Amino acid sequence: MITVESVRPPRGLARWRSDSTGLSLSAGTAGTIAIALAVIGPIALVVALGATPVESLIVTLRSSELQALLVAAIVAGSIAMILGWGTYRRMPTKLAREQAIAGAVLGIQAVVLASVLLRFTSGRVDKFATIFLDFRALRPHLAEFRHAARNTLVLAFAGEGIGIALGLVLAVIASSKRAAVRAPARTYINFFRGTPLIWQLSFIYFGLIIGFKLNISAYEAGIIAFGLNTGAYAAEVFRAGIQSIERGQLEAARGLGMSYLQAMRHAVIPQAVRRVIPPLMNEFVILVKDTSLIITLGLLSREYELFTVGRSLFADTFNATFFVATAIGYLVVCLPLIRLVTALERRLRSGLVGVVGHAA
Amino acid sequence: MPPEAAPADPVIRLVGLHKWFGHLHVLKGIDMAVRAKEVVCVIGPSGSGKSTLLRCINVLEEPTSGEVWFEGRDITDVRVDLNKIRTKIGIVFQQFNLFPHKTALQNVTLALEKVLKMPKDEAREIAERELAHVGLRLKADSYPGQLSGGQQQRVAIARALAMAPKVMLFDEVTSALDPELVKEVLDVMKRLASEGMTMIVVTHEMGFAREVGNRMIFMDEGIVVEEGPPAEMLAKPTHTRTQAFMSKIL
Repeated sequence: MITVESVRPPRGLARWRSDSTGLSLSAGTAGTIAIALAVIGPIALVVALGATPVESLIVTLRSSELQALLVAAIVAGSIAMILGWGTYRRMPTKLAREQAIAGAVLGIQAVVLASVLLRFTSGRVDKFATIFLDFRALRPHLAEFRHAARNTLVLAFAGEGIGIALGLVLAVIASSKRAAVRAPARTYINFFRGTPLIWQLSFIYFGLIIGFKLNISAYEAGIIAFGLNTGAYAAEVFRAGIQSIERGQLEAARGLGMSYLQAMRHAVIPQAVRRVIPPLMNEFVILVKDTSLIITLGLLSREYELFTVGRSLFADTFNATFFVATAIGYLVVCLPLIRLVTALERRLRSGLVGVVGHAA
Repeated sequence: MPPEAAPADPVIRLVGLHKWFGHLHVLKGIDMAVRAKEVVCVIGPSGSGKSTLLRCINVLEEPTSGEVWFEGRDITDVRVDLNKIRTKIGIVFQQFNLFPHKTALQNVTLALEKVLKMPKDEAREIAERELAHVGLRLKADSYPGQLSGGQQQRVAIARALAMAPKVMLFDEVTSALDPELVKEVLDVMKRLASEGMTMIVVTHEMGFAREVGNRMIFMDEGIVVEEGPPAEMLAKPTHTRTQAFMSKIL
């Protein structure tokens, strides 16, 4: 019996202690301090001294404390850069090298960020803050923004729903081997991908109410236009998904006597759909923001979505903080979606979703 | 379509089969007949057209010219409903091609329900029987990704057999398997042969061909070079190309 002595190399804090060097630690620490000063410092200062009313925010932004903070960040960042950059090649361990590099990189980020902030606060920051950062004015309108966010989501979800259904049908048609079958789908897809959504919105709206004599609102026309537009993009996503399924799947289904459409329906499309969920969700994130274009059609106030409500309140008050609130609204909706897409992509890549074949 | 050219005897008959892929002439006039209960093994170097030949038999590849006769009809005729014909010609692929989003059982029941329009219960019954037949009764609810290559290939065989085909086509079904998994698949095929299934087997398993095959066909560069009883052909091939091939693989 052979016995192998197994001594596990130190990990975590123990490894940190044994593998770091004085230089690498100094570089890393300087970089961390610099980025903390440049990012957390100003935020802490604003929170401590109050962001509302805007006058107090202006005082904070022009304060010598903030300037000192930013200058300190630049100094610490420069030290980290010089230390890290100059020494990382000579570090004896992998960990020490990573510390030195991290110090240098954080240092660069801190220097850039602090310099920009410093330059910005030395300009007409009072005027900027008065126009864009007067958050006091938001409070009475929070309910309107919530309602608007709901409308944005309604527009996006309804449009995406129509788009996905339409896209799937278009993708199957566009995947046909017969040119005559493909042609209309291709024409549709290319048309909607090749013209601006803002033009499609008004063309469809007026086309429907004048040409088709339909009695529909701008809001409803918007949903239809978003659906038709998304359909073209979703079709391309689905088509790519269908093409990514191994030929053998279609052949196996046909070999069992299924018709082409049966084989697509039961063998190919279920796999393709799972595979294209992340890109479809990316399209959805884009659509959430593109719903803002509906502003060009003129909405009733209860139909206002995030962009329209921001623009309308700005028009009433000349306070551009409402636009900032609009942007924050979009971020609140989109950031979770973006994270979800990233997580899904990672799972799909690692095969954990359990639909990716192991046959090949 | 001369009606007298359809003798009831062979299950499959190929007449002057040619296949071109663009400028590539892959099958250069194949004539062959396979009678009921016969096990025909097709061997030959890679690129010799074996797989294409097999895929022309159920018209997964459309022959460029020539005829494929099945049960007394030329199935290359455009008026033939190929979907109906294919339910009677089972095919098993090198890469298994199981549907990864369906369980072993669902892989088998899918075509029973959607193509043969069988009620769910009946399809399930047949599928369970066929899975048991290939020794996978307990794996009915596993997904292909949870099965070994050998198990996947046996599910693929069960899937084809569930349709109660008249002929089974095997396209290098053990070539993608790890060596220790080859036997379990060959055993299933041997039993199938002993039960009287008509089989056309493209293979590199010479042991299987010798033991189970009634006839061996050696193909090279798109033509049938030589055919005969497997034992004889393996022992003393007559054609020089066959000899060269045998000397490389044996």
